Amino acid sequence: MDFGLSDAEQAFADEVRAFLRAQPPDTFAEDGTDAGYGSGAHSRAFTRALGERGWLSMAWPREHGGQARPMGYLLILLEELAAAGAPFGPLSGCLQVSDSIIRNGSETLQREILPLVARGEATFWQGYSEPDAGSDLLALKTRARLEGDHWVLDGRKIWSSHAGIATYGTVLARTDPASTRNRGLSMLVVDNRLPGMDVRPIRSLTGRVYHYEIFMDGVRVPRDWVLGKPGEGFAQLLKGLDTDRFWGRVYKAPFLRRILGLLVEYVNSAMPGDAVARRRLAHAATEIAALRALFLRAAWLIERGRPATGEISAAKVMADELGQRVLSMGMELLGPFAVLRAGSRWARLRGEIEHQYQTSWGHTLAGGTSEIQRTTIAVRALGLPAEPRARA
Amino acid sequence: MDLSFSGPQQLLQQSARALLQQRCPPERVQELALDPRGFAADLWKEVATLGWPGLLVPIELGGSGGSIGDALALVEEMGRACVPGPFITSAVVATSALTEAGGRRARTLLPALALGDRICTLAVLEESGRLDPDVLALPVSAPGRLAGRKLFVPDAHVATDVIVLGRAAAGPTALLLPMNRPGITARPLDSMTGDKLFELELADVETGPDDLLGAPGGGWTLLAPALRAGALARSAEMAGAAQRVLELCVEHARGRVQGGRPIGGYQAIQHACADLFRDVESARWLTWEAAWTLEAGRPEAAAAVAAAKAYCAEAALRVARRGHQIMGAIGYSEEHPLHLFHKRILAAGQDAGDAALHLETVARAIGLA
Repeated sequence: MDFGLSDAEQAFADEVRAFLRAQPPDTFAEDGTDAGYGSGAHSRAFTRALGERGWLSMAWPREHGGQARPMGYLLILLEELAAAGAPFGPLSGCLQVSDSIIRNGSETLQREILPLVARGEATFWQGYSEPDAGSDLLALKTRARLEGDHWVLDGRKIWSSHAGIATYGTVLARTDPASTRNRGLSMLVVDNRLPGMDVRPIRSLTGRVYHYEIFMDGVRVPRDWVLGKPGEGFAQLLKGLDTDRFWGRVYKAPFLRRILGLLVEYVNSAMPGDAVARRRLAHAATEIAALRALFLRAAWLIERGRPATGEISAAKVMADELGQRVLSMGMELLGPFAVLRAGSRWARLRGEIEHQYQTSWGHTLAGGTSEIQRTTIAVRALGLPAEPRARA
Repeated sequence: MDLSFSGPQQLLQQSARALLQQRCPPERVQELALDPRGFAADLWKEVATLGWPGLLVPIELGGSGGSIGDALALVEEMGRACVPGPFITSAVVATSALTEAGGRRARTLLPALALGDRICTLAVLEESGRLDPDVLALPVSAPGRLAGRKLFVPDAHVATDVIVLGRAAAGPTALLLPMNRPGITARPLDSMTGDKLFELELADVETGPDDLLGAPGGGWTLLAPALRAGALARSAEMAGAAQRVLELCVEHARGRVQGGRPIGGYQAIQHACADLFRDVESARWLTWEAAWTLEAGRPEAAAAVAAAKAYCAEAALRVARRGHQIMGAIGYSEEHPLHLFHKRILAAGQDAGDAALHLETVARAIGLA
């Protein structure tokens, strides 16, 4: 068994670190909120810088302009970026959508979008949830009908991250009007600039905008801007969900380790020798290490093409619940200073804890609630019987 | 990264699982737990012929010179079967210390340990209950005389030899004594875990220069790495035991019908089982990662092992405790194996350093002043 990096992987990790030293993350302009997952703020400039180094496309096959590097390199990149607090908010969306386009996209999609992704000029939002379709996603009402060479898309999506500043969305819509539940769905790739798109911000409890609501009114999407075959949207979704959960959370362990480092610094200076704080921080460190080990196990299974749904869902649940615990601990350790916002004169640790604390309450909801994850583990990994569906 | 088991490890796992299922079913574990002097002599003899006790003994001393990972693969299976006995104490901790110490006495004992003919235990803890070289009180000298007592000495009723850690002028010092040395008396401690723990009374025990294990003052340097291997082995044992608890719970949840369907079809039970899965998998892979740091000689190994031991103790106990709720009333009965796993996890969590001790190692590693 070997948890280490090969020489080539170590060289890549060193290369990423050298880049982060040469161009410190805080020198890049930010254009979207840090949602607290550990991927920092949304920064087009930083995304382009990743593209310039070829890192956005390094895992792609060579025929699509990639370097065919194994998945381990992406893990290294994400861990190093998270440890440094870099603003790579759009990155996991880019990785996931480009992977889908390479595997299941039409030639048009591959030709139009992949080069933009590689250069860091295309970023993505996901159009899954709707006002009446949350955990019961298959109750969605967004529809697309074929008219000549276009899908005509009508409906409403909600809680889509960065939708107002991203360039494209992947929208799950019912394309067979006679279908129900998981049949007759398609995954459309939608350009934000198309007429009929109305993207409205939702201000979150942090006071900042991260999510958007998207109104689609007769949006004409080219016929071959579909991932997979029309009607196979559910299969695309399922494939995507496991990897979304993995790639959208895998950097949370290094992120929490960074937050823990801040809290250690604070305790050392503000309350040295406090036995309770000491015990709590050490305890959190063991949990963060266990979280990382669980992600590595999931990564190993994914790379080998083995079923990993249970491990991925378990890692997501643990990442998000542990994140809440670590940030709650941070709020307690900072005492009255905890609530002071970044930028205020007396804020401690640059006010980072209060923002991350607030965002953490959305994480156990986003990407499938913790309840959905636990049901997924029970039914799909442990083989327990599914709960009967209520009759409509 | 390569998280697969080596070929020999897979063989070891398969043969151990098959053998233990047959020779050490829960009824046997129960019987051994209830007998204050319980020891599965036949099983010990059988696994000795398979070379288990010699797994970590160097090849030139009659063992198979295996890695700590090989030992963990075996110990995980032993945890899964809830196997009691002196394996971890003798074949992991004492064997590691003796191999490290070298010297005539150790080199004579190791081949006998490998054959399973002799069993070596450790006498480290005292009345403070703390695994801390700074609080050792027992004065030792060799040559000289020992007077005092040690607590929580495992399997002293079947051990033929004991490593005693005490304090000499030069600092913590280890001795290797035969259990039949006049003046050594073992008195059983009545533990709810069913593990065999003893108070070792040392009444005017005569020691010679030959009894020294390692250098005077070097006792802790000698024992700390061996205890680290022991902490890792206990982590694997707990992960294995927790894995079995998860399996028992899932089997029960699938088969037990209430309200017209299996209780595993209700979210309340499903979500509890999902949490067990999270705890088992995270504990297991954290342990294997720590084992890798130790084998690869990484600088963070001590902290990684400490984190694994502290985490496994907590996560595996959480599994056992939640398991009682999933299993319902049947799991409360003595005949059901759940309590055996629960108690084994409790015992393993204490051995080779409890969570508090290991968390202190972690605290220093993350930079707490």
